[in-house]
Amino acid sequence: MKLNRRTFAVLAAGALAMGMGLSASAADLETIKRAGAIRIGMLVDFPPFGVQDVSGKPDGYDADVAKALGEFLGVQAQIVPVTGPNRIPYLLSGQVDVLVASLGITAERAEKVSFSKPYAGISIAIYGDSGLEVKDAAGLAGQSVAVARASTQDTGVTEVAPQGTDIRRFDDDASAVQALMSGQVKLIGLSNVVFSQLTGVAGDRFDKKFDLSSQVQGIAVAPGSDALLEQINAFVEQAKSDGTLDQIHEKWLGEPLPDFVKNAQ
Amino acid sequence: MYQFNFQPVLANLDLLIHGAWLTVKLSLMAMMLGLIVSVLGAVAKTSGIRPLRWVADIYVEVIRNTPFLVQIFFIFFGLPAAGISLSPNVAALVALVVNVGAYGTEIIRTGIESIPRGQVEAGRALGLSPVQIFRYVIMVPALRNIYPSLTSQFIYLMLTSSVVSVISANDLAAAGADLSARTFANFEIYLVLTIMYFLLALGFSTLFAGIRRIFFSYPASR
Repeated sequence: MKLNRRTFAVLAAGALAMGMGLSASAADLETIKRAGAIRIGMLVDFPPFGVQDVSGKPDGYDADVAKALGEFLGVQAQIVPVTGPNRIPYLLSGQVDVLVASLGITAERAEKVSFSKPYAGISIAIYGDSGLEVKDAAGLAGQSVAVARASTQDTGVTEVAPQGTDIRRFDDDASAVQALMSGQVKLIGLSNVVFSQLTGVAGDRFDKKFDLSSQVQGIAVAPGSDALLEQINAFVEQAKSDGTLDQIHEKWLGEPLPDFVKNAQ
Repeated sequence: MYQFNFQPVLANLDLLIHGAWLTVKLSLMAMMLGLIVSVLGAVAKTSGIRPLRWVADIYVEVIRNTPFLVQIFFIFFGLPAAGISLSPNVAALVALVVNVGAYGTEIIRTGIESIPRGQVEAGRALGLSPVQIFRYVIMVPALRNIYPSLTSQFIYLMLTSSVVSVISANDLAAAGADLSARTFANFEIYLVLTIMYFLLALGFSTLFAGIRRIFFSYPASR
């Protein structure tokens, strides 16, 4: 039943997007204000950004941002669960007004949707024992670094590691983290999302050494929703400066909003 | 239709050969140390000294009734908590020795028990020393009896060693996994790995057959 409904929704979204053209479903700020509610699409299977709480309601970083956005606009935030593949069809077909769905800002996507300023980001960095002094890739020489085999971290570390770096490849992040925690390696290549879970367990035993790569995420609207996008950008600006995003980031990822998101344009 | 492309394998053959060399070294050392552990374990199990027997019993039962993956995780990730931190390759060796030692203990014990009491008494009647009796009357005939099961256990040990890549030891399987992660030529790489493991196993079988001819043939047939 659920699968049928979802399949139908995807098909319908696709058909609508094709039939109506891209700009036909642009969200109108006035309509939203008059309705008193904004429909916000978000993922619920992408922890800690999008999850479901014990009662099955959408929760997570994106949910908190969505609620704050609703408050800013003075309307009720109606959260609509979407999935990775169907989130853009949902937006373009007008079933949601806006996506707060951990959508990474890429040039390819920017041709289909309009992105706000970045509100979140995922970074990959080298982390390690707090006492260890490593500031850049050159500092990796002679050190042991754990990574999950064939992951983005693996590629990143392998690219920058100088001769004499002992790269230890494990089957997954869990084993690599285990190697770090048991002291078998001093450093690890990890995403900030997994690292925030690690700090929950290990406290301040480990800290960040340097960044490898990052990807920022934006709130997306259908092309042509200029008035709405302006308001959303104002919201992101305000949430960045008044500490709202810092608070939400602290709650879900254990640290204030990282600089690479704050400074990204 | 899948297009075979062995270019990535051929270009990185040195990586695979390096991995295979580590697998051979690891297996050979584990076999030799494992044989020592097995003989000691079997002697402990068949000795009349109760506490010694209990220790050997517990060792054999614990190892034979738990998965190798768990054992190797315990040695690599668990022992550092007790202050013993081993490098991946050393941890892999220790895990393999501990594992094969338990199976070998049982195999050699059955060999020892297959020696009739009368044969030992005959040795004593001939005036052989206890060490001589142990060596010529018990161990050599015992090993001769269980030689096929012991060597197939050793071959199995070599194949089991493909698991050690989980603790980032860089054996043949790890070299293959790294290579397929980089080139995505998974099928070709695993085909080559299969052939390499098969050749290694064949090599070990030949080696064991040679050892048998030299050390365990009956004097009459020499």
